[in-house]
Amino acid sequence: MPFREKSAWMMIAALCLASAGYAAIVVNMSQGLERLAPPLIPLIVVFTIAVFVLTVGSHIFIAVLAPKDANASADERDRAIAARAGAMSGSIFSTGVALALGHYLIVRDGDVLFYAVFAAWTLAQVSEYAFQISLYRRAL
Amino acid sequence: MTKAPPITNRVRDLREARAMTQADLGEAIGVTRHTIIAIEQGRYSPSLESAFRISRVFGVGVEDVFGWKE
Repeated sequence: MPFREKSAWMMIAALCLASAGYAAIVVNMSQGLERLAPPLIPLIVVFTIAVFVLTVGSHIFIAVLAPKDANASADERDRAIAARAGAMSGSIFSTGVALALGHYLIVRDGDVLFYAVFAAWTLAQVSEYAFQISLYRRAL
Repeated sequence: MTKAPPITNRVRDLREARAMTQADLGEAIGVTRHTIIAIEQGRYSPSLESAFRISRVFGVGVEDVFGWKE
């Protein structure tokens, strides 16, 4: 398996774990408040640190297992796959943001807007790595 | 699933005839071993530049390495 495909799997795992933890905290807070909990900077900071630690830790692990692959620079196929996956995930992100903005125009709730854009970003990131894995495994 | 590109190649035959590994060929033309595997399996059509590099490594013409499947 190419190093970049392993890396994509690790990024999906890190993003899903951190996002699930973040969502669980927001749901718990919202149940206590009996309304949608507002976004809090400390929670975002914890989320960012969690993603960073999980990403760096997992990449150190896979780099130790295959140091030569880890040090190799991206070749033409890697770049083509990254470009195509980026374009596809960009469509997901822009669609999510458009829906979030449309929802805001109707409901006028900034908290929902934040969570919707955040969810669109997370989904787009996870999709980008999933597209990369798919492209590594099929004809390009 | 995306169809394989209609480009055929003899990279594996030519490489094995010269007792080269996939890693050797990848290093010679500046791509990873995984890209050579994808080329040999018909899952990736290399750029024109890489196609020329591959044919030069083997000392043959591009049309001797790559073909078009009608």
